[in-house]
Amino acid sequence: MSSAEAARPVVADRIERLEAEVLDAQRIIGELRDRDTLKTQFLSNISHDLRTPLTAIITHAEILRDGILGDVTARQMESISVIITGGRQLLDMITEILMHARDSSEPLTLVESEFSLLDVVEQVTALNESLAARKGLGLERRVSTDLPPMRGDRDKIIHVLTNLLGNAVEFTPAGGRVWVHACHGPEPSDELVLIEVGDTGRGIAEDHHELIFREFAQVDASASRVHHGIGLGLTIARRFVELHGGRIWVESQLGRGSRFFFTLPVRHRA
Amino acid sequence: MTARILLVEDSALISGALRVLLEASGYDVTVAATASEAIAWPDGSPPDVMLLDLTLPDGDGLTVIGGLAARGLRPRATLAMTGHGDTATRERCASAGCDAVLVKPVPVKELLQIVSDRVV
Ligand SMILES: Nc1ncnc2c1ncn2[C@@H]1O[C@H](COP(=O)(O)OP(=O)(O)OP(=O)(O)O)[C@@H](O)[C@H]1O
Ligand SMILES: [Mg+2]
Repeated sequence: MSSAEAARPVVADRIERLEAEVLDAQRIIGELRDRDTLKTQFLSNISHDLRTPLTAIITHAEILRDGILGDVTARQMESISVIITGGRQLLDMITEILMHARDSSEPLTLVESEFSLLDVVEQVTALNESLAARKGLGLERRVSTDLPPMRGDRDKIIHVLTNLLGNAVEFTPAGGRVWVHACHGPEPSDELVLIEVGDTGRGIAEDHHELIFREFAQVDASASRVHHGIGLGLTIARRFVELHGGRIWVESQLGRGSRFFFTLPVRHRA
Repeated sequence: MTARILLVEDSALISGALRVLLEASGYDVTVAATASEAIAWPDGSPPDVMLLDLTLPDGDGLTVIGGLAARGLRPRATLAMTGHGDTATRERCASAGCDAVLVKPVPVKELLQIVSDRVV
């Protein structure tokens, strides 16, 4: 018997074992997928169920605030205002979880229209102006005048900008600056616009630059942390930008501010 | 005569809150918790304003609009209430015949303003 013939049963045995391992791996992947679907379903159900009572709480508080059931004292008004502000914050977080769960369960589609990036930037910065001012932050907006009209999902782009600017304001201490810039891609031939949301805040260490885009990831995730988001803002932002065929990234160093960039392709009417 | 509002909303907590608001503001409020209940509006003349939740246990809230219209009972104004006011939802509501889309929790002042604009 040649040595090749002697090896044949050994090889056959090896193949059989590898095949068994592949089957095993496929089964495990299937199980993990099922569990992930369950988790997503759970997130979606629970956020929906949380919204309903919260909606009722906020409405009742506003009924009191607006004096519909009679006058309230100044002290009572203070408590009512806290119920409304706190309630609205909670609602925003729940809405974010719901949006994330939806996005993971059914593939997202873009609702496209033509819009002006300048309008969108103005709208988002206007909404953040009073918050920035209250925190003692300067807010600057600079949009090139030669930008072409954009085609894309306006609501989703607004969402991305709102999240980035919200973070910039959140993570920058009083006296700092935050800004939004938008211009045509660096090369004249570039078929894209580049949007920057920057701040002079606490910055992000290099090894966290990718991590922060993962779901629920936060640089400071300890229970004693000062900031109370849920860690979905950037995950959703990346999803939305990539859906448009763009890219999003951060340039930052700890203690030296952060600059978030994203690109959007300039698409011509089909 | 007191203006009549048909409030179509499956959550008793939310319809309860809106009922307090609207009744205290002088309106006559009828609550329907399902689409079929809303379409079965028992009176011969339509409600003045319909506040319509989009997700009902027996289906899409927008079906109520057609259901009432088929009985010749089109409210003077229909205001949709939804959890998210994205463009797609707004367009769907507009083409179904809604006069406005309100995102829940509907700001109380805004709701009263819209309703009083519609019933004069
Ligand atoms: N401008 C910034 N400066 C410093 N750190 C930032 C900045 N933006 C994001 N980060 C870090 O990245 C983390 C993830 O941000 P992300 O927006 O995804 O979630 P979040 O703000 O914690 O919660 P939310 O889901 O409410 O937005 C933040 O917790 C923070 O640690
Ligand atoms: Mg955030």
